[in-house]
Amino acid sequence: MGLSFYIYERSKLGGVIGGGLQLFFSYFKDLVGREVTVELKNDLAIRGTLHSVDQYLNIKLENTRVVDQDKYPHMLSVRNCFIRGSVVRYVQLPPEAVDIELLHDATRREARGG
Amino acid sequence: MAVGLKQFTNRGHDGQPALDSENGEELMHVQPGVSIVLGHRNRAPESPGTLYLSTKRVVWLSDADIAKGYAVDFLSITLHALSRDPESYPSPCIYAQIETEADEDDSECSDSECNEPLDLSLVGEMRLIPSDPRQLEILFEIFCEGAELNPEPITEDGGNNPAFSTDLFTESSEGEDFDGDLSQNPATSIGHSNGDHDLARSVLELQINDQRFEDAEEMEHGSDGGHSELFPFLS
Repeated sequence: MGLSFYIYERSKLGGVIGGGLQLFFSYFKDLVGREVTVELKNDLAIRGTLHSVDQYLNIKLENTRVVDQDKYPHMLSVRNCFIRGSVVRYVQLPPEAVDIELLHDATRREARGG
Repeated sequence: MAVGLKQFTNRGHDGQPALDSENGEELMHVQPGVSIVLGHRNRAPESPGTLYLSTKRVVWLSDADIAKGYAVDFLSITLHALSRDPESYPSPCIYAQIETEADEDDSECSDSECNEPLDLSLVGEMRLIPSDPRQLEILFEIFCEGAELNPEPITEDGGNNPAFSTDLFTESSEGEDFDGDLSQNPATSIGHSNGDHDLARSVLELQINDQRFEDAEEMEHGSDGGHSELFPFLS
């Protein structure tokens, strides 16, 4: 099952460390074009190609599909989808897109306040 | 702040919605010839109306009935999508999910029940169907713009303020698992599974089952003792 990687909800990051949002913003920008799964706080999980992300971690996906299709049959597929950053619970990334070194360094810098 | 869909009947003399211009609300886009479907997809579309997208909200006004109109703040729109797949919905439309205060799982709606009056505050879904499907792209983009113009109000408090967990649970539209009490008890909430408020621990959660990670671990050994604080799974 490989590596699954979760980044916690944006509201927490923004509320607690402010600038930490920037870290994840930069990180997500590098993932544009990759396949990700975004899990919302209402349990809906949507998989799609990351089209773009903005400073609020609003996420735009393309060629999306709902992971749990039995529960959300009417959302089987939509072409473009915009998800409000504040309702994102997790973003699940493809294992090959996780650069552990880069995250180590960036997170450490962030924790030290610069 | 009131969330969800609301009745809107406040039209100006020009027939357009009266906006809150004192607080900087401006009209971004007007799209005539738009039908609206509130709630369950089996509900009949309401007669064509006009869609007004302001810098703060989405307003739909019926063309025929001046007493009929709806508004929803961009802040309450959880996601919006461009739906063109006939299996998702027969007509190409903008699909939007709306945050509601209550548990909005009222989707049990047979065809016969679907024309009963709606409690607007429980409406969790909205479809906007322009008569001209070529308008969908531009509508989608303006919805994006509206969302970006309306980020969550920033809480100035840092540190161990529970604001973020309150935020998390009041915004969650599911009522079953989370009741208001949880926000009083951060130790049980997501990110606090072990009651540890250490920021670094709550930022990242890695579930590792990948040998690439072992490489990273070796490379990290001895380079900096600090990392074990950030990545407790390393130690």
